[in-house]
Amino acid sequence: MLLQILIQGFLLSGLYALIAVGFTLIFGIGRILNLAHGSYLMAGGYAFFWIGQIIGLPKIIGVALAVFLGAGMGIAIYRLIVRPLKGDRIAVEIATLILAVILQAAIVLIFGSSSKIPHPLVPGVVRIADTPIAWSILVATCASWIILLSLYAFIRLSHTGRAMQAVSMDPKGAAICGIDSNRIDIIVWSISGGLGALAGVFFAGYTQLSPSMWVTPLIISVAVVIVGGIGSIMGTLAVAHIIGFMEVIVTTLIAPELRGVFTMGLIIVALLFRPRGLFGREEI
Amino acid sequence: MKSATSPGIRFLGIRFSGTRFFTAALLAAAFTAHQAAADIKVGFIGSLSSDTGRSTLRGAEIAVDELNASGGVLGGQKIVLIPADTGEDVTEGIKAYEYLAESEEVDFIVSGSIDDVSLGWIPRMREYRIPTLDTWTSYIGIIDMVIEDPEAMMPYFMNIASDEALATLYIDFGKDVLKGQMGWNSVVILAEDTAFGGAITGLVTDALAPEAGIEVKEIIKYDIATVDFAPIFSKAQNSGADFIYLVSSVNSQVVSSQYVKLQVPMAMTGVNVSAMGADYWEDTGGAGGGMSTLSPVPSVGFKLDPVSQAFVDTYRARYKDRPVMPHFNGFNAYHGVKQAMAAAEAAGGFDDVDAWASNMKQQDLVLELDGQLWLRYGFWGDDEVEPRTGRKYPHNIRFDITEPYDEASPSMVVIQWYEDGTTAVIYPKKYATGEFALPSWVK
Repeated sequence: MLLQILIQGFLLSGLYALIAVGFTLIFGIGRILNLAHGSYLMAGGYAFFWIGQIIGLPKIIGVALAVFLGAGMGIAIYRLIVRPLKGDRIAVEIATLILAVILQAAIVLIFGSSSKIPHPLVPGVVRIADTPIAWSILVATCASWIILLSLYAFIRLSHTGRAMQAVSMDPKGAAICGIDSNRIDIIVWSISGGLGALAGVFFAGYTQLSPSMWVTPLIISVAVVIVGGIGSIMGTLAVAHIIGFMEVIVTTLIAPELRGVFTMGLIIVALLFRPRGLFGREEI
Repeated sequence: MKSATSPGIRFLGIRFSGTRFFTAALLAAAFTAHQAAADIKVGFIGSLSSDTGRSTLRGAEIAVDELNASGGVLGGQKIVLIPADTGEDVTEGIKAYEYLAESEEVDFIVSGSIDDVSLGWIPRMREYRIPTLDTWTSYIGIIDMVIEDPEAMMPYFMNIASDEALATLYIDFGKDVLKGQMGWNSVVILAEDTAFGGAITGLVTDALAPEAGIEVKEIIKYDIATVDFAPIFSKAQNSGADFIYLVSSVNSQVVSSQYVKLQVPMAMTGVNVSAMGADYWEDTGGAGGGMSTLSPVPSVGFKLDPVSQAFVDTYRARYKDRPVMPHFNGFNAYHGVKQAMAAAEAAGGFDDVDAWASNMKQQDLVLELDGQLWLRYGFWGDDEVEPRTGRKYPHNIRFDITEPYDEASPSMVVIQWYEDGTTAVIYPKKYATGEFALPSWVK
């Protein structure tokens, strides 16, 4: 049983990290909670479903379209909502939350209110230590890790990544040094949207598509930011693993119906006893 | 019975769900335009966004259209159908009933409500005394209300077999197939954390398991918002049971598809509401094979008599969106509305509820297939005792839970979804069109 918990916890945590990393990036750069972040997952998942199961095109095209759609949504949200409201974080948060609700209604209009199960990215099952693991979730977890490490390397090693770090530390100082913070913001919002949509493809392939599917990823993302208290990729990975493993442990050893309660409880406990988060505040 | 809920839009105190709002608005406009010439108003109460709710509505629509086409009722009066959405919410259900009673002043109500919603509006029904037919809820407690207070419950009828009758026949399936044929001795119950889940879990632990000689190893409850069942299936495997008994009415397609995608190496049967509809295969993205579930009749995979087949043909020609086939309650609504109108003809209308109810009890539609009784839409007499359970079922549809099922329809059948997307009835034998089958990955 311990091995099952380790395997399932590891798989789930990788996915959670991918879900939350875009949200954390936005928070790290602009100190903004993008409450429409879950909508990227919803849009990505439905785009993948539409391409693969309604149009009948290859899945890889569905994945690519989902990522482009998510990136486009990120840029659109930044240009149409965030930039006009810059300086008023509460207004941005309210606006993005309303946007998420509007997008949910749009999904209901287009696809209906009933849940849909997308075909897995990779069909089949592999058994490790008597634990059945769907290839699709294994691929999703491996892809998540590769993407997260690549993103970490990009931020640490590339010129643009270092500019992102500078904006995250001190936007005014970065501007004095000649960094175009508007360009950096657009890049970060597009990365956030694209990764969110890709996470949506993985997440929906593992679970389901439904118009309200944006809520759970948003709660996970908020929990990562509040509990982690940071905007760093490594911090995201750490907190995603705390949440992922605890969910699997609670489900397996205590009571499955308490699974969602744990994440909520963790947010409250962090706010009460560690309001700056486990890892304090850092640049991305 | 119970099914999934969905968000909605509030309008005039009634909750209309999502995309159905505009459809409902158009329907309402169309109905309003015809009301000037209408004499008999039939209200529909149920969820306009659920497959089951829409099955009842559509069954009623087809019945109303056929009655109108044949000259109307009660001296040539035309019938109009007025929908009110419950959104599968108790409070909205009560408001919907009040809307139909007070604003629309309907003569008769056909319901596609889930258990909790029916329980919510029944006090209003007792107050308004509007003849009402439930086609979906199977809660035995409502029949007990009829026994305890027959005068107050006079307007109420239920034309689906109540859940005790469903469970009694399912116990036979447990004895004959799960224990007798498969040789399974222990079960792990995987039940959603709802009132429905609790009720069915109670029936399985108190009745199925002891009578069939199957030990309940563990009961695992899960939240209906669960989207990752991998740890739950691991827990079920670790219980050491021979098979999983699933109790799921909300989002059943998620647990079903993950069972298939993860190829959980133990059989799973039980009550899986989404698998009762023909849209199940599409809903699971084709990952729904190997599941079996109890279902009221007529179910998917059920051979149909000519009358029921004609209803299905009309339905399919008329409706192109889901549900692609009416659920059992669509059939119930179709026949039930016609029977309610026939009872009104005999009683001189709906105003004298006692007279209407008295005539409703006399309704008896026997549908035959190949010369033998196949389905029956009649009601138990007030003092009749069902011999096997030893209890009365006044105002409940007449059912038969004893072989050879020649008195009425069986209370339920067990249906099987195969891995190629086809379906069959596998129990009882008289109605069987296929065999119980384990998924290919279960050894």
